[in-house]
Amino acid sequence: MLEIRNLTKSYGDILALDRFSLDLGKGEVLGLLGPNGAGKTTLISILAGTLADFSGTVTFQGRNLFADRALKNRLGIVPQDMAFYDELSAMDNLLFWGGLYDVPRAELKRRAAELLERVELAGRAKEPVKKFSGGMKRRLNTAIGLLHHPDLLLLDEPTVGIDVQAKVSILDIIRNAGASGTAVIFTTHQLAEVETTCSRIAIMDHGRILAQGTLDELVRIVGERDIVEITGEFAAGPFSEALQDIAGDGIELLSVADNLASLAVAATEQIPRIMDRLFRRKLAVTDLKIKSPNLETVFLKLTGRSLRD
Amino acid sequence: MTMRRAKRILHVAGNDLRIMVGDKAFFFWTLAFPIFFIVMFGLLYKSGENAPAVAELTVVNLDEGRWGGYFVEKIKAPNLTIKTADAEPAEYSRLLVLPADFSARIEARRDQALAFKKRSGASVKAAARVETRLYQSIARVISELVLYGEGDLTKFLDGHPEFRDIVRVESRFPEKTVTVVPSGFDHSIPGTTIQFIMMMVIIYGGVTVLEDRKKGVLARMLFSPLSTADVFQAKLLGRWSLGFLQALMLIVVGKIFFGLNLGSLPLALLVIAVFALAMAALSVFIGSLCTKEDMIIGLAVLLANMFAGLGGCWWPNEIVPPAVRRVAMISPAHWAMDALHKLRFFQGGFADILPNLGVLLALSVVLAVVAGRAFKIRD
Ligand SMILES: Nc1ncnc2c1ncn2[C@@H]1O[C@H](COP(=O)(O)OP(=O)(O)O)[C@@H](O)[C@H]1O
Ligand SMILES: [Mg+2]
Repeated sequence: MLEIRNLTKSYGDILALDRFSLDLGKGEVLGLLGPNGAGKTTLISILAGTLADFSGTVTFQGRNLFADRALKNRLGIVPQDMAFYDELSAMDNLLFWGGLYDVPRAELKRRAAELLERVELAGRAKEPVKKFSGGMKRRLNTAIGLLHHPDLLLLDEPTVGIDVQAKVSILDIIRNAGASGTAVIFTTHQLAEVETTCSRIAIMDHGRILAQGTLDELVRIVGERDIVEITGEFAAGPFSEALQDIAGDGIELLSVADNLASLAVAATEQIPRIMDRLFRRKLAVTDLKIKSPNLETVFLKLTGRSLRD
Repeated sequence: MTMRRAKRILHVAGNDLRIMVGDKAFFFWTLAFPIFFIVMFGLLYKSGENAPAVAELTVVNLDEGRWGGYFVEKIKAPNLTIKTADAEPAEYSRLLVLPADFSARIEARRDQALAFKKRSGASVKAAARVETRLYQSIARVISELVLYGEGDLTKFLDGHPEFRDIVRVESRFPEKTVTVVPSGFDHSIPGTTIQFIMMMVIIYGGVTVLEDRKKGVLARMLFSPLSTADVFQAKLLGRWSLGFLQALMLIVVGKIFFGLNLGSLPLALLVIAVFALAMAALSVFIGSLCTKEDMIIGLAVLLANMFAGLGGCWWPNEIVPPAVRRVAMISPAHWAMDALHKLRFFQGGFADILPNLGVLLALSVVLAVVAGRAFKIRD
């Protein structure tokens, strides 16, 4: 029901989206995973209709998303900013924002009360929002996007900077939305939450999708290998050089940064060989961990960057 | 425009108004503070110019003949109250003394002097009215005497009605003479209203446009079926209604506590409505250009006070030199105040304020166009 084709957007010299394409079906929950600057917010902003000067097409429910203003009634968007009125109460905010859509007033009131219940703000519905904690504000920010029961829900980093309780509550909302048939795209750079929440995961960087699929499908990209994470006192350059001649031979360098590197190995028997090369170059290793492949290693392999960068 | 679209715009504008009115300091800035200005300028430019409807004249008639009484009859007029006294009283506003030989000198066809005294501090306008009436009366008596000719003057009052009241003397002020200087609360309330519309609309209106843009609230509105143009119109409407509400509050207070008279309430409201529209557009323009709240507040205080002073909100522009009056035309407040003064002090009607409305409307359009160009959803 959503088809994005060749979406391209640049800010001057910066190519924020590079021929980005994606399909999404009813009730699918897609986690869009990407490091800072990958283009996630740019994508959401274009779909939301607040960014102009781009190329490419977006078809939503068979119609051009940008040509038909009425389609906005079917679209719910939760921005990265806490974009609401601090001086109004949670209830008044919901009634105001919901009032922009074609929902009858009585129905709107009923849905607002129900949503406040679901995001656990019902007890403080009448307080000015400026008294709320960060987590409470995030929950309200999310609830605002759901009032008009959209068919497509877009959330930009809905769990940034909040406590665990609020995060659980928001991920619950996302899952519920998916279960009730709403298609969802949410961006994040938290691996754990896409693993538990999404039916599909897409990893993006430099404005395009590098890989997508279910969690299992993605992990298979790295293959049945073990992941070795090495911490020490070394620079990225000498580390790569040290392993140059053995790389490829059952050893793959996933990512190298100063003092931290990740490698995929076909078997743990390879590890002494690696240590030997590092020792000869006098590169000090302080810690070594062996892990099974997971989303994080897939991400490392694809983007060459750790999500915490 | 579809109903749904209009409803959405009203929804946003109404919410804006509610947020601005809901501010803690709102009623201090829009009510308490302006009332202080109203009282201050109302008293400062009070003067005696609000002349009593009926002017008072005390006459001490010492005349031993009959011409004194005849002359007093001639003075009588509907807008004059004549009191008589036997001797100069301790208190009076204006006093005319007819000497003992008043009749004797007339009958002898001799010159004579009458004493007319004004108490300092009494209404200058009322005095002018009395004085004019005195000259008229003197002229009428003299003309009767001249027409009567050489006859015996002692017999004139016993007959000869054909010579009575055949000459009428009328006084008119030449056109465009400033006969009235706007003053008192009828000047200071509209003046303060215009000043505070400028100040409040630019500050509240500008700052909230800036805040909404920074917080991403404007961008979020575009997620809904609202277009940028819709949001812009809603912002204009919200700020316009803030300005109009400000005016209504001060007018109601003025009516209840200061006996405010605007000449024509509907026309005065029309002037204020168009003025508020220009300020609403200006506030969106300033809010879109500025990146800091302090800049908006500084600009608002500067512009509002400059335009208010220049535009005749504090002292009536009718008393400033013509050169200053010409410069005042750059102030939007001038066009509003001039129209309001026409309505209240110069018996002006719709036709008289049409040029003012035209200028204010043109200004609104120009400001709305530049505001529309400067208006942005995010920085
Ligand atoms: N308004 C802007 N002006 C210039 N460059 C921008 C702007 N917004 C984003 N960018 C750049 O575009 C790229 C993608 O940004 P963004 O979509 O915000 O990424 P993400 O949300 O994944 O962190 C980044 O390189 C960022 O610096
Ligand atoms: Mg982002």
